Amino acid sequence: MPFLSYSSYRIRYELDGPADAPAYVLVNGLTQYAELWTAYRDALIARRFRVATFDLLGQGESDKPPLFISQDDQVAALHLLIQELGSGPVFLSGISFGGLIALRYAIAHGDRLSGLVPMSCFAELPPQLFLLGNALRTGLILGGTSYLQDLLLPMNVSDQWLAPVLDKLDSVKRPGWLVNDVYALQNLMESFLDFQPLTPQLPSIGLPTMILNGEFDFLTPRALHETLRVNIPNSSLVIIPRAYHAFTLEKPALTADLLARFANDVMAGRWRGNKSVWIAPDEAGGDLMPFPAGYDHLRAVPVQRAIS
Amino acid sequence: MNGFFGPLDSDGRVPPRQQTRVASFLISAHGALGRRFALALPPRLESAWQTELNAQFYNESEIVSLLLRATNWTPDLALGYLATAWETTWFPAPAAGIPDPTLALAVDLATLAHAIHAGIRPAALLPVEANPNDPFAMAIRRVEFESGRLLQAQIMFLKGESLVPFRDAVSAALERRHAEVRKLWHELLDSIGITSRNQNDAKP
Repeated sequence: MPFLSYSSYRIRYELDGPADAPAYVLVNGLTQYAELWTAYRDALIARRFRVATFDLLGQGESDKPPLFISQDDQVAALHLLIQELGSGPVFLSGISFGGLIALRYAIAHGDRLSGLVPMSCFAELPPQLFLLGNALRTGLILGGTSYLQDLLLPMNVSDQWLAPVLDKLDSVKRPGWLVNDVYALQNLMESFLDFQPLTPQLPSIGLPTMILNGEFDFLTPRALHETLRVNIPNSSLVIIPRAYHAFTLEKPALTADLLARFANDVMAGRWRGNKSVWIAPDEAGGDLMPFPAGYDHLRAVPVQRAIS
Repeated sequence: MNGFFGPLDSDGRVPPRQQTRVASFLISAHGALGRRFALALPPRLESAWQTELNAQFYNESEIVSLLLRATNWTPDLALGYLATAWETTWFPAPAAGIPDPTLALAVDLATLAHAIHAGIRPAALLPVEANPNDPFAMAIRRVEFESGRLLQAQIMFLKGESLVPFRDAVSAALERRHAEVRKLWHELLDSIGITSRNQNDAKP
C-alpha cells in the first residue's frame, strides 16, 4: 500500500491501470474511503484509463491529524498525488466534500487538468445546507459515527437501494465505522467553520467541466449545482434520473460510463460545454437527452422557464 | 495476529487475558485523567466552564468503575511492568512554548485527554460475532462512545480564542501526546496478538 508524505502525515493512495493512459483521479466524500471506488476503477481501466484513488487526510488509511486541518491541506495533498501521474491528461472527479476539494484544486491548479467532474457538489453554504451541516456535526458529536451514518444513509440513497439491506444495515455501516474516527470526521466537518463561498472564483475554471447532480438530491439540491453551471464557462449540468446525493454508490456503472464518455469527448475535441443542461440515461451506454427546451430545470414540476 | 479480539470463547466472549490487558490500560489512562481533573476541580465553582471539569471527573471515574466490574480478570505478571510505563507517560508535562505555567499544564491535560479520548477505540476491536450481552463488550462500547463526547471539551479548549496565539505550541503538544498514547496502545495490542488496522496506530 503506497503512501505520499505531506508534512508529517502520510496519504494512502493507489494507482491502477496502464501508466501511459489518461488518468482519472477520484476524490472521496466525507465518510467514504478509497475502496468505495472499486467498481469505477475496474470500469475505467477497462476503458483504458489509469485510475488514482486515495484517502483524504483524516480518512480511512491516511493519517488523521489530531486537530488542525484545513481544506487547503487537502488540496495540497491532492496536488502531491496528481504530481505522481506524470504529464499525461488528468481528469479530476469528486463527490460532495470531495467535489468541493476538486473544485478548489481546479481553481488553484486548473492548468494541470484536462477535465473536471464535480458530483453532488456545492460552492456555497446557503442556510439550508449550513444548518444541515451543523445538525450532522452535532449528530456526530452526540451520537458518534454510527449515528451520522444513520442520518446520511436515508438522505443519500434510494428506497430501492435501502430495501434489500434494511435487515443488515449494521454490516453495511461497519466498514465505514471501522475506518472513520469521530475526531477525524469532526475535523473534516469543522474545516467548513471558516468557509468562504467559491462562487466568485468559479469563472476562473476554464477547463471542460461536467457537473453531475442526482434528480432527487435534497442534501445538495439543483440550485447549488446551478451555481456551478452558471459560473463555470465551459460546463454542462447532467441530471442523473431517480438519483440521490450518493448516486456514485448506487449507480456506479452509469456514472463510470458518463466519466469515461466525458473524458473521451474532451480528448477527441468533441466536448462543448455551453452551460447546457442534460438528462443522463437510466443505464450505462444510453443516450443523454437535452433538458426540454423552455422548461425550468430548477423546478420539480414542469414549469415553463421565465423569458429573460 | 488479526485486527480484532479473539479467538472468542463458545459464548462469544473476549479471552480473559485480552480483557485484562485492555481494561488495565484503559483504567490506567482514564484513571490518570480522573485524578488530574479532580486536582483541577475547585471545591466551589466560580466560572461556567468549570462545570465541564466536574463532568469530566465523574465520567472518567465512571469509566474506571465500569471496567473494574465488567472485566473478567485473570492474573497477568506483566502488568506491573506495563503499568509502570503507562503511569509514567501520564505524568504532567507542561506544554513547551506557553509561558504561563498554569496554562501550559492545562494544555498538557487537554492534549493528553484528547489523545486518549480520540485515539483509543476499544470497541473497534470487537469482531461482529462478539456476544452483545457480554458486560466487557458493552463496557468498551460505552467507553468508546463516551470518549467521543468527552473529547468535545478538549476540542473547544484547544481551538479556543485563548490559545490562538499558541497554535504551534498546542499543535506540537497534541502531536506528542497522540504519538505517546498511540505507541503504548499499539504495543499493548501487539502483546495480545492484535494487529492495528489504523495507520495512525502503526506510526512509530
